[in-house]
Amino acid sequence: MTDDRQSVNSLLPDVYQELRRLAANYLRRERPGQTLQPTALVHEAYIRLLKDKPDRWQNRAHFCAIAAHSMRQILIERARARGAQKRGGARQRITLDERLLPGGEPSIDLLALDEALERLAAIDPEQARLVELRFFGGLTVEETAAAMDISPATVKRHWTIASAWLARELEGNSHR
Amino acid sequence: MNSERWRRVNHIFHTALEQDTATREAYVRDATAGDPELFREVETLLTSHSKSPHILERPAWMIEPELALGDEMSLVGKQIGRYRVLEEVGRGGMGIVYAATDNIGRTVALKALPAEYTRDPERRKRLTREATVAASLSHPAIAAVYSLDEIDGELYIISELVRGRTLREQLREGPLPSGQLLPTLISIAEALAVAHEKEIVHRDLKPENIMRRDDGQIKVLDFGLARPTGPRESTVMTEAGVLVGTPGYMAPEQFTPRAEIDGRADIFAFGVMAWELATGEHPLGTDPGSIIAKMSDPFESRTPALSRPLPLRGLDGIVRQCIRRAPAHRYQSAEALIVDLRRLATPLPNGRDVFWWWQGHQLMASALNAAAAAAVWGVRQWVGKPTGTILFLAALAAATVSVALRLNLVFASRVHPHTLIEHRRRVFSRIAVLDTVLAGSLLAAATIIAAADHDGIAAILIALAAVMLASLSLIEPATTAAAGLVLPDAAKKTPTTAR
Repeated sequence: MTDDRQSVNSLLPDVYQELRRLAANYLRRERPGQTLQPTALVHEAYIRLLKDKPDRWQNRAHFCAIAAHSMRQILIERARARGAQKRGGARQRITLDERLLPGGEPSIDLLALDEALERLAAIDPEQARLVELRFFGGLTVEETAAAMDISPATVKRHWTIASAWLARELEGNSHR
Repeated sequence: MNSERWRRVNHIFHTALEQDTATREAYVRDATAGDPELFREVETLLTSHSKSPHILERPAWMIEPELALGDEMSLVGKQIGRYRVLEEVGRGGMGIVYAATDNIGRTVALKALPAEYTRDPERRKRLTREATVAASLSHPAIAAVYSLDEIDGELYIISELVRGRTLREQLREGPLPSGQLLPTLISIAEALAVAHEKEIVHRDLKPENIMRRDDGQIKVLDFGLARPTGPRESTVMTEAGVLVGTPGYMAPEQFTPRAEIDGRADIFAFGVMAWELATGEHPLGTDPGSIIAKMSDPFESRTPALSRPLPLRGLDGIVRQCIRRAPAHRYQSAEALIVDLRRLATPLPNGRDVFWWWQGHQLMASALNAAAAAAVWGVRQWVGKPTGTILFLAALAAATVSVALRLNLVFASRVHPHTLIEHRRRVFSRIAVLDTVLAGSLLAAATIIAAADHDGIAAILIALAAVMLASLSLIEPATTAAAGLVLPDAAKKTPTTAR
């Protein structure tokens, strides 16, 4: 695992770089302001990373694990930075109210989820890894099964209870 | 929990899910027999599962795409039409606001409208029309809209760049300082008055949408998204049936689909905001959950916060007048609101003495009304039955109600002096009708008894009626004006209603 963490840290800039480059490409090609399809974007980033530097990845599973973990780190880091900015009374004007507007999706607190996922990892590291792959890495059930070398049915079972566990944790958290 | 135990939880959880819902609980109870802790663990997991089975269905970056792609979506440094984007200055429900310079070096605020506003051609057309109206608003307390530009198929609103802090940001430090409160409220009300005059309703007034510039000037933002309420436009405007507003500030009628919204919805939001600015707390509390639960409730139904009066007594009455459930019970125009706020800022400009004359007049008029009813009673036999009885009953009814209304006004003038203008405006037309009926019945009685040879008494009745009518049409307006209880000319208009 230590080995993995190290490679994650060395690869994180690459993943991030690739995302930026892709997004910039999209923006040049498309008209400004047009909605990007983040899923397509991220998948494209994965494929490129996989193709461009094949020697850096032991195998596809290894790549998926690292990409998902990178994504998690990027998102959490930024969510944290944004939170700090907000608490500091900076200029941003996002308010909770806006999530209540019709059409707004109920939002998940990514930071709270990240912490809950750490707690899950203490009880069941495999399930935590699975959540990371699916939720932060965006892999499908089949891709996850291949990456973890378990059956899709097992992925589904783990996913169901891990989701329920995290949902419960987040709910308990929201009664601040 | 250790891994061993978690494995047991897993096993029971999945076996339970395979059971029928009917037998599930019995199974869990059975499987966890003698271990209430374990039972609770599985039960709560099952509950979470049934409540939100798809909580993590969307990948993380879909939940907050701007976290993943934030920097790249930014327009900073780009050239958009004739605007060069300098920096991001704020974010709101309508998107990110940037500072930009145009081709003649003027610094403006540039806001790209979200795709859902621009995709539908019908909505787009409407938006263009609204921006046109908004651009015609000119007032120091309204952030000016310069133009709505279509550049490469995207819509951008170009407006005055306001640098400063939103009232929301200021509220984080607590209520507004007392010296700042009334001037701030008056500025906002003035902005509303100007907009309502042009039949533009803001619809989403809240502390986030109001900025205090560094030099202290208040600026109401986002008037560009208000919808005109003119009769010609109204059907089209509401046809989309889109709810616009923010729960917690929306007037009850804004929760009714397709209801006509007029300036009085802004008056409501103003009241909520005034409360918040005065106390530092939203009248419904800070818990967003409870705001959602209560949002369509009338604020009149007392929340814990609202059961305490505002520290500034005069403002309390004004605010409560703003947040009445029925639009007809609120201030009918922003001008009327301004008059009351100004009176509060400079209490009773005309002094106590002049005010006393008005109160004295109300009491005198009440006494006169009672005397008139008594007089009709005195002459009813000479008038003859049944006319005498009918005249007396009419006089009695009119006198009773009119006296009650006047005494109520006098009472209100002592207890809620700052909402008196609005209060008086509402009841005075009724008083005028009642007094006229009373004088009419006096005159009718006089005419009849004069024919029956009671000229002397008839003359007294006619004199009494004349005094009443003169008091109503000459003396009352004079004392009212002297007491400063009449709205300035511009404020007399009925509100900008569109049925």
